[in-house]
Amino acid sequence: MLVELRNIVYNTPVIMTPEIIQHEYLLDECDGVIEEIFAKCGENAPNFGVGLEWFKESLHRTARKYLFANSPQTLTANEVKSFFGELQTDNLFLALACSSGNERAWWEFDHQHRAYLERIARHLASSETNAQDVVDTVYVELYGTRMVDGARVSKFSTYSGRGSLRGWLRTVVWHSLVDLHRTSHDEVSLDEMTENVGEGYTQASFAEPSLDGEVEMIDQLTRERYRRTTLTAIEKAFSDLDNHEKLLLLYYHVENLKLREIAKLVEIPTSPLRDWFQRKSAQRESNPEAKIHESTVMRWLEKTYGKVLKSFRTELLSNNGLKEAELDICLEIATQDLASPNLYRNLMTTQP
Amino acid sequence: MINKGQINSEELKIQGLLDRYVRFRSANNKFNDNHLDDDTLTAFVEGKLDVRESPAIIKHLVDCSFCLHVTGELAKMNTVFAEDEVMSSASETQPTKVSEVLSGLLSRIFGINDGAVFAHEEKEDNKTEEKVKTDK
Repeated sequence: MLVELRNIVYNTPVIMTPEIIQHEYLLDECDGVIEEIFAKCGENAPNFGVGLEWFKESLHRTARKYLFANSPQTLTANEVKSFFGELQTDNLFLALACSSGNERAWWEFDHQHRAYLERIARHLASSETNAQDVVDTVYVELYGTRMVDGARVSKFSTYSGRGSLRGWLRTVVWHSLVDLHRTSHDEVSLDEMTENVGEGYTQASFAEPSLDGEVEMIDQLTRERYRRTTLTAIEKAFSDLDNHEKLLLLYYHVENLKLREIAKLVEIPTSPLRDWFQRKSAQRESNPEAKIHESTVMRWLEKTYGKVLKSFRTELLSNNGLKEAELDICLEIATQDLASPNLYRNLMTTQP
Repeated sequence: MINKGQINSEELKIQGLLDRYVRFRSANNKFNDNHLDDDTLTAFVEGKLDVRESPAIIKHLVDCSFCLHVTGELAKMNTVFAEDEVMSSASETQPTKVSEVLSGLLSRIFGINDGAVFAHEEKEDNKTEEKVKTDK
């Protein structure tokens, strides 16, 4: 019944799989909880003009997006209720009201968040003018100027309540600034927007690093072979890591996040990143709420380096049949080439 | 058997090699159009996604330099603006009437006159009232 109704409302065909039917039943079972949440939100903001069915549909949408899309069929009603309990429902209530243009809600939003928006924009933008432009653009986007089927599309309607409204606003401001920058620099590509990534790797010239000392004795072809073997080994070692370990390395080495910034990212006790790293930690079992310090993140990094080194050695020694001395040569060549950014570029250009 | 000095030296070299490799890898990641939306990026950076929801997001971040970069920037802001979250959210100045805020912005940016905005708002207000009535 609900699915049929949704088909009519959204004009989108939904295939009635057993999974979807089960999810719809679960949502029906959560009606009471949603009504309770709605009542609380209504008490806090009685003049926002948000109706129960509208609010309910919004929560259902959030559940479908985050919970059902990633869950097996074995979800229980309690898990869905608990999911709804974790949502930032007051923020969602405000966002829904603003999306409909409710005057009181906009006043509240402006009152609570405008100064914050301006601080973020000033922090990110290169000038005061840019900051003001961004705030203006964000307000317009939030209000919505695009019409679809006669209805105004407000950016607020994409907020789900899964994260905080302020966190979401930060993301919206960041994207607006990128868009503003791209508009004013037509030639700037998305690649260039990530200008700090890979700086210096796009040079056109591929000068060979100079050879010296002991390495000079190695034949050029042999050297090339060692280089390729080294690249293959490091690629393999990286790809063998778990995704959360890769992400840690990328944040630290590519995005240049400080240890405390990574620690902040995983400080929430329920953070899955933290959970993965501390799965077998006795401290975690005894005190799951313990703060994550920079030293903890450093240990995770060291552990990951150790894993890479082990895998790198195995690849060279066991899988490629190199001797210990040759492994030293591989590392030596790689280390010398680190002085030049061309190690991988050379390899890419010489590979068949 | 490798002594500790050698291991440390090897570790340092592998860290340098790894540093070069991941930077090169990210610089050469081709962007696709399927980026994470603002809502998902925020939920991830705030640690709100659970073990069921996170694997697909983390996999995407490992493979998409753009979204990785966005989350990196947001993580930096997390630290900078941490204090704002606990500060009183009330601003010192009273906000102006929202219709004034919006009409001012729209007219400045798009050259729309105030009357058009007010008319649009009134329509929306009516719609909202209707929606509430329907819901009841």
